Parts: sequence; C-alpha cells; structure tokens
Amino acid sequence: MDSRTTIAIPIAIIEAIGEIAIGVFMRVRKFIVAALSSVGEMLRICFEVFVLFPKAIKTPSLIIKQAMELCVSSIPLIFVTSIFIGMISAVSAKYQFRNMVPLKYLGTSVTKLTLLELGPVLTGLVMSGRIGSSIAAQIASMKEKEEVDAYTVLGLDPLRFLAAPRILVSMVTMPVLIILGCFLAVIGAWAVSVSGLGVTSYTFLSGTRLFFSNYDIFVCLVKSVVFGLLISLLGYYHGIHSAGGAKGVGEATMKSVVSSSVMILMFDFLIAFLLLF
Amino acid sequence: MPGVQIDSNDIIINLRGLRKSFWNKDGEQAVLKDVNLQIRRGETMVIIGGSGGGKSVILKHMIGLLQPDEGEVEVDGSVISTPTFFDAATIRRKMGMLFQMGALFDSMSVGENIAFALREHNPGIPEDSVDEVVARLLGLINLNPAFASKMPSELSGGMKKRVSLARTLAVEPEIVLYDEPTTGLDPITSDVINDLIIDTQSHFHVTSVVVTHDMVSAYKVADRIAMLYQGHIIFVGTPDEVKATKNPYVQQFIRGMRKLEAVPE
Repeated sequence: MDSRTTIAIPIAIIEAIGEIAIGVFMRVRKFIVAALSSVGEMLRICFEVFVLFPKAIKTPSLIIKQAMELCVSSIPLIFVTSIFIGMISAVSAKYQFRNMVPLKYLGTSVTKLTLLELGPVLTGLVMSGRIGSSIAAQIASMKEKEEVDAYTVLGLDPLRFLAAPRILVSMVTMPVLIILGCFLAVIGAWAVSVSGLGVTSYTFLSGTRLFFSNYDIFVCLVKSVVFGLLISLLGYYHGIHSAGGAKGVGEATMKSVVSSSVMILMFDFLIAFLLLF
Repeated sequence: MPGVQIDSNDIIINLRGLRKSFWNKDGEQAVLKDVNLQIRRGETMVIIGGSGGGKSVILKHMIGLLQPDEGEVEVDGSVISTPTFFDAATIRRKMGMLFQMGALFDSMSVGENIAFALREHNPGIPEDSVDEVVARLLGLINLNPAFASKMPSELSGGMKKRVSLARTLAVEPEIVLYDEPTTGLDPITSDVINDLIIDTQSHFHVTSVVVTHDMVSAYKVADRIAMLYQGHIIFVGTPDEVKATKNPYVQQFIRGMRKLEAVPE
C-alpha cells in the first residue's frame, strides 16, 4: 500500500464521519427550530384566545353547543372510568398497607391520591382522547372543506368562533368533570372497600375526613383548568395545521392525543412541584 | 355583459409581479412566477388555465388568504400583500368568495349560514330584517324558503354552491371571487350557476373574478378572459379575442388538444 492510499483511507473515514455528524446536527437543529416555532405559535394562539373570551361569551349558542358536545356527552365515560379508578386505588392501597398500616388510613390514602393525582391525571388522559381528538378531527375536517377560510373570507376571526368557545368550555367544564370523577372514584373505592376488603363503612368514611384539606381540592382544580386548556389548545393547533385528506385528519387526531397526554404528565409534575413541594 | 358599464381606467384589483412558491418533499415548486393582471370595476374576469396551474392560488392572494413571496396585490387602492398588519377585516368586507365545494358551516342550517356574517357585522339587527334578507337571497338563488331550515348535509352539490353564493351576497360585497363554480356539476346545473353569476353582476353591480377550466361557462359569463400558463398570464382578452387568438397555448387549452399544434393562418 503506497503512502497516498495510507493517507486517503483515514481522510475518507473522517469525511464520512463529518458528513454524518453534520447531517445529524442539521436534523436536530431543524427539529429544535420547528419545536420552538410550534411552542411560540401555541402561546400566541393561547394569548389571542384569552383576549377573545369576552367576545366568545356574547355568542352563547356556540358555548352551549360546545358544552353539550364536549362536557355533557363525556359524563357516561367519566362515570365508568372514575368508578374503576376508585376501585383499583382501594385494592392497591389495601395491598400496600398489608399489616403495616392501619386500615383506617385507607380512606385517607384513596381520597388524597384521587384528588391530587389519579382524578385529574387519569381523567385528563381519558378526556384528551375524548375531547382532544374530537376537536382536532372537527377543525381538521373544517380546514379540509375550506370552512376555516370561509370564516376568514367573511371577515370573521376563526379564533373567535372556532378556538375560543372550545377552549373556554374545556377550561370551565374540566374542573366540573374531574370533581365529579373524584367523587365517583371515592364512591367506587368505598364500595369495594366495604364489600370486599373487610373495611367498615364508618372506618372508610372517617378515613376520608382524616387529614382532608381544602388545599387538595385547590390543587385538583388548578390541574383541571390547566389540563382543560392543554387538551383543547393542542386539539385546535393540530387540527388547524393538519395536512389534507383523511390521512391528515387522522394524523391531526393522533398528534393531538399524544401531545396532550405527554403535556398533561409534564404539567402534572410541574404543578405538583410548585404547589406541593 | 349587456347593460353593465365598465370603465377601463377604473382598476379595482391590481396584481403586480406576483411570485409564489410552495415547499413539499420534492423541494421548492414555483406556482406563480410573474403574474400581472388588472381587473376593472364592474367586470367579470375569468381566469382559465390547466389543473394545478395556480388559478386558485391567484384568487387566494386577491382576498388575502395567501401572501406572495414577491410582488403586490392592490385591492381598491389598498395594498393587501404587506407582511405587516393591515386592515384585513375592512378589505374582506368588500370581498366575498364562493369556494369550490361551497364551504358551508356544517353545524348551521341554510338560513343560519346565510345570516351568520350578517348578524356578526351588524350587531343588534332586528331578526325580522335578517329573515327578510334570508328569504330574498333564497329567492335570488331559486331556492324555496323552506330550505332555510335544512342542513348542508341535506343539499346537493349545486344547492350548496347556490347557498354559498347567497351567504357571500348577504354582506353586500363589491367583489365576488368564484373558485371553479361549475366543477362537479351537470351541464344544466352549471348553466344555473352561470346565470347566477351574470344576475349577481347586473343586480348587485359587483366585480366578479371567476376561476374555471369550463370554457362553456367562461364564454358565457366573461367580459374578459385571462389565461394562466406556467406561472404567467399569457393572454388577456374578450371571449371573441380568445377564440380568434393565434397564441398556440391558448388554442391548445380552449380546444382541449392534448398536443400543442401550430395555429393555421
């Protein structure tokens, strides 16, 4: 092997590594720029929608319609999921307590866990699939059929008529749904505790009052409002940025559910850290 | 159009050096390369061209739904193509658009669709006045007043376009843009739409811009026809001038010839 070949091979390897590194860097850079751009636009939409809330309220028919679609029709789902959340948490707590922790704290554990975590988070995740996907699909379909452009062309702000009512209703009704869910979860926990876990009704109910704090409800409500905002905002954002066709609608729905689920978990930690730490 | 006075110096829409590109997975695609077009107040200008050529893109620039990469769009003396904030709402109240598939609001009835923008732009308007306008517009588009309570999903394609036109006219625009108004319709329904375009121009004294590749419709409704070819406006003239032109690309399009042929002298 002559000296030229001896030098050329390492240089070629270095060049190849350099090209790969540049390619990776460019893709990461593109991803970061796209992510920051998305966050910026969502913050802009959020701010503009908040400013439009007073105008959105002046069209009560739209608000009521969204409330019926997003909230009232979700109650049966909340009922089923919350009952099971309560039942599971009671069984799990009983298992963890075993003979180490007195059963009078079962009600305390279930209530605290439900109000602070399971209620808002699990209900939020279920609602991201129910409400978030519905909003994303509706908005994506409207965009596909040029209805969003029709609002703009008629001199009407799509944010006022499409985004603001949905986001407002979601932020107002999520706390209602989650509090209802927490209540049903405690009932479910009580039912399974009394019927199958050997806990008396008095023991369970007195446990729920033990260490009960109004602050727990406050934390639950803060999480509810934030989750309601995240679910509806992300649903609208992915809907309005959907690609065309049925595939675009499907992708918008999927992205809405995935992104709102991740954001619910992130904000759950953030709120817990800020309010409970 | 008989009975409609058009001043050739009174320009209501002016497109100057319009350029627009779109990005997709294949890279940048230039749709409009250098579009220059002047539309006179009160006339019906028809823009023809091949499918995917950018005709609808031109319409969307006129109404501000798209911003050009270069060039200017001037509507009634106001430049609407600047990236900075402009009074979009006022400009758009002067303009209306009939979308290709109608773009009716699915959650509202026909009457609510027609009255929606009217109520929003005129807060406090009595419901009697709204009902009167809706009934009058339904009559204009030859639909029975009973249609006011029907939902868009119950309408045919032609009916949706007629209701969409009624919705556009409810806010009394000065300019109406039509995006392929006869596409997907049978010949008889297409002629109904053509007659509506003509009646709208004569009754409401609007300026109309129609994008179509339906030459029967173009010849019937147009005062002038402009042809878009490979991102440029290559011809503007009256329907008779279009038929008589020696421009081979225009002749290829209007005759529906697959291959380009030299035009005999």
